[in-house]
Amino acid sequence: MPRRTRRSGRDQRVRPQRHKDVLHGAGRHRAHDFRCTGCRLDVSLVAPGTAHRNHCPNCLTSLHVDLRIPGDRAAGCGGRMEPLSLTVRPDGEWMLIHRCLSCGRLSANRIAGDDNALVLVRLALRPLQDRRVANSALLAVR
Amino acid sequence: MSSDHLAHQHRTTPSAALSTDTFTCVRCGLTVSSYAADTTRRNHCPSCLHSRHVLDQVEGGPSACGSRMSPIAIAVLRTGDWTLVHRCVRCGELSSDPVCADDNQLILMRMAVRPLADPPFPLEAFGTL
Repeated sequence: MPRRTRRSGRDQRVRPQRHKDVLHGAGRHRAHDFRCTGCRLDVSLVAPGTAHRNHCPNCLTSLHVDLRIPGDRAAGCGGRMEPLSLTVRPDGEWMLIHRCLSCGRLSANRIAGDDNALVLVRLALRPLQDRRVANSALLAVR
Repeated sequence: MSSDHLAHQHRTTPSAALSTDTFTCVRCGLTVSSYAADTTRRNHCPSCLHSRHVLDQVEGGPSACGSRMSPIAIAVLRTGDWTLVHRCVRCGELSSDPVCADDNQLILMRMAVRPLADPPFPLEAFGTL
């Protein structure tokens, strides 16, 4: 649903945004969940299988907040990060690679236990949709 | 001919001296020409697909790391082209480079099917969808 920024009706004056008393930082009541920028789902930070959830389990979208170290919150971008591809660790664990839609930066994160399996498999099958590369790989074997 | 036009021409088609430029792969030691057959600049070895960390991805410009970057994943752009995702083995930074035409197809295919070889959940349920 598009956000309505322009007021309708008689009152066309722009009122400055109200000051917020509630801090959404560490220790406050919103410290343990976030809202997905892609599908607006309320996501709890408690995830099965990982202690560092950074993406929505429904649409796998993330937010660009970290600069170099995960958790440093030093990035000034704040753009939406789309899931780009999947990679596998040497121990067989799947990792998700995100790319920022605003600045193009890449980041990697482990998948969580409640991530959407259908979206993950679609992401894993995406390179295999094009049969040109598979045909050239078969030619390389012969 | 203006110098601006000369610079543009230099960027698109490398001169004869530049097109014979080579580099040595840090992993397999293969001597690789810096420009591919379609005159695009190469940044990874076509044999083992490894690269070097010479560009800083966060702030831009040259990187002080200079370590080896191993290929970890294949990403597909909206145009359908394949892109190789590299990770630096020393500092863990990620970068993405387009795939060249003469890259090792076996390594590319192996990376593409690698997630499906060991899925974290059973894939049998997707057959009923």
